[in-house]
Amino acid sequence: MKVSIAQLQKYFDAPLPSAEELDAVFTFHSFEIDARADDWLDISVLPNRAADCLSHRGIARELSALLSVPVARDPLRTPEPSFPKTSALRVVVEDPKKCLRYMGALMRGVKVGPSPDWLKEALGAMGQQSINNVVDAANYVMLHIGQPLHIFDVNKLSRDGDAYKIVVRSAHEGERLTTLSGEELVLSEDMLLIADGNSNTPLALAGVKGGMAALVDETTTDLVIEAASFDGPSVRRAAQSAKLFTDASLRFQNEPSSALAAYGMREVVSLIADIAGGELEGVTDVYGARAQASPARVRVSLEKINGLLGSDFSHEQVQEVFTRLAFSFDEVQGGWEITPPFERTDITIPEDLVEEVGRIIGYDTISPKILPEPSTPSDQAYFRGIERVKDFLLAQGFTEISTQTFAKDGDIILANPLDKTKPALRTTLTTNMQDALTRARRYAPRVLGPNSAPKLFEIGTIFPGDGERLAVETTEPVSDIPKIIDDGAYVPKHFALGRYTPFSIYPCMLRDIAVWTPEGTKSGEVEALIAASAGALLVRADLFDSFTKGTRVSYAFRLVFESPKRTLTDEEIHIFMEKITKALGARSGYEVR
Amino acid sequence: MQGRDIQTGRPHPISVAVRDIADIFGRMGFSVAHGPELEDEWHNFDALNIPADHPARDMQDTFWTKETPPRVLRTHTSPVQIRYMEKYGAPARIIVPGKVFRNEATDATHEAQFYQNEGLVVGEDITFAHLKGTLDTFFREYLGPAARVRFRPSYFSFTEPSVEVDVWFAKGAGGKGAWLEVMGAGMVHPSVLKNAGIDAKKYQGFAFGGGLERFLMVKYEIPDIRLFYSGDIRFLYGFDEKEI
Repeated sequence: MKVSIAQLQKYFDAPLPSAEELDAVFTFHSFEIDARADDWLDISVLPNRAADCLSHRGIARELSALLSVPVARDPLRTPEPSFPKTSALRVVVEDPKKCLRYMGALMRGVKVGPSPDWLKEALGAMGQQSINNVVDAANYVMLHIGQPLHIFDVNKLSRDGDAYKIVVRSAHEGERLTTLSGEELVLSEDMLLIADGNSNTPLALAGVKGGMAALVDETTTDLVIEAASFDGPSVRRAAQSAKLFTDASLRFQNEPSSALAAYGMREVVSLIADIAGGELEGVTDVYGARAQASPARVRVSLEKINGLLGSDFSHEQVQEVFTRLAFSFDEVQGGWEITPPFERTDITIPEDLVEEVGRIIGYDTISPKILPEPSTPSDQAYFRGIERVKDFLLAQGFTEISTQTFAKDGDIILANPLDKTKPALRTTLTTNMQDALTRARRYAPRVLGPNSAPKLFEIGTIFPGDGERLAVETTEPVSDIPKIIDDGAYVPKHFALGRYTPFSIYPCMLRDIAVWTPEGTKSGEVEALIAASAGALLVRADLFDSFTKGTRVSYAFRLVFESPKRTLTDEEIHIFMEKITKALGARSGYEVR
Repeated sequence: MQGRDIQTGRPHPISVAVRDIADIFGRMGFSVAHGPELEDEWHNFDALNIPADHPARDMQDTFWTKETPPRVLRTHTSPVQIRYMEKYGAPARIIVPGKVFRNEATDATHEAQFYQNEGLVVGEDITFAHLKGTLDTFFREYLGPAARVRFRPSYFSFTEPSVEVDVWFAKGAGGKGAWLEVMGAGMVHPSVLKNAGIDAKKYQGFAFGGGLERFLMVKYEIPDIRLFYSGDIRFLYGFDEKEI
């Protein structure tokens, strides 16, 4: 989430540290920072904190705990807002499990127009564009306290007598909705819809995106403001099938407390009245989940905290953490009973509190300890039994490959393969092995040198119908491969690997050269001459033949040329070969054959 | 320039790494545990405190089979924690190197199959301090005495508290040092212990897990993760290698 440091500052009297300092304190005590500038941070809020921290207020509260600086103004630490009721807006919630709360406010006499400059600037700093004063007010409140809000133009709704009616219901299969940004959605029954209850017109995809039907524009004077709480998984699925990931769906899928809706409503009504005028007629609040909204009380002891962390934090240190987090607590026998603030829906078990203490004081303050002696000796027998077979094959000249588990055919078929041509799980290693061998033969002159036949093996899991098992495959028969059995006594060989040198994706070119040399000439001397004269594109030279005739020795080399950047031409190779021939011929007693 | 006879074959770099890892953890008393690559939903998700509505279960992340009930290609090595504790109870001290699968588009840094190494220690008084000590020891032995390890807050449904583990790591010979995120870790969530049949009032422990390829890519300067499972000998012969 993009966090504006200027907007964050609104919660504090004391000036905040620099973005760089904020980065460090968040990284080691709360959340990773994905990016930052002098005046903003992009904070990667963890999934368990998305309910309270996808908001500037939540981040401010977090920062207050980290820096031990008090929050001067916290809209959520005020009594639960209450509103006048209205009979002019009826709300019907079809399934209270999917819509935990629906608050609709009827506001009249609003003048829609451009936002004041301060609001445009504030939204810009938080990464949003200004639309008009009413819509901007809703976005501003969402970015500040985390409650998504939506606003409908009342004059575009149907009336039954004096009453408007909002229905929260499942969409009908095939029902259509045109969103505010113009997407034409075809809905399905598992999607939750906000509809005009009098005309049955779809108004919004609940928790995801509003529709065109009740768009707020310059002509709008009366509003229905929605502050609701929807079931997270339902919103997530709807956003996914509609491929619409919005600020609202991101927040709802993490289920912020249903108690938050009332605070969001109070803030947005007050801001709209300030910048667009109008008066609140009343609020209709259908709140089926009120009972679940009160936070759990969680007990934890000092012994539990230090016993799980291996720390030696004092009673005072721990209590200070709870104070800094603004958790209300009672000291009880041996510890504390905590009542987290309602928006901290993540605190449900003692271990959650252990984490709060550990991260706020800092994991770096906990001294590492060596594990006690194990009660039973280490058992690596099966692993070593497998590695023994690998070492046996390596010693026989086989190179180990590891290949894809996915196959064209098999007994187990995937419902959602990545590669549609390979929908099955392999029942054999043979197919991949043959493919690898074909390619290995092609690359052998480059990789292994002349006249060498590549030998490969794989030990991997196959998935025949009667159950998965480990299989061993080699490119040629090996008579005495050991079986894979437990072998705790076997000590697998260890290898030191050096830096990896990438291979060229372009083909290599092969040339042979043979040269007569005076008796006593070493092959290494010839090889050195070739290397020195051939240029950088000669990538290997292998002696493949030598014999003595009279007082002369003949050496034959296979040369491999390759460029990392392009395919080489015969003409280029011809020039290299001429250089080599010339260099060899210039030596006394040498004669290129 | 190359040009020498090669008598013995080349081991796969994952085998080389897993042997070193198993050896170091073996000296700290860890066993090596194994489990199926094709898993049931319970072991891969539910038992690890990942409920049915969790995003990790989405079709786009997980390979599901066309069976009734469907199974999954394990998305992590963590189900072996559950299987091990179900079978042997507590205490437990294991590592689980193994292949895992994610249904995501492949590119130079993403592969649909890769290796993870998992660790689990459960006992009567195993603490976060032991997690720190164990990983400190491991990384110093694996990367050299100058290796440093640090812990940052994180979130996983199967651990509480949860942390991200970074190591300070010099890339290549004479390369600049950098912090590299190498694994997730934390104290095993009490629900996970209960789901595996362990008395969570008596026992507690830590777990850690991370992918191997991305780490090896930095260590050896390998440009593309897909090379690991290409079966291409040009990759396997791309390392200077010696037996030690």
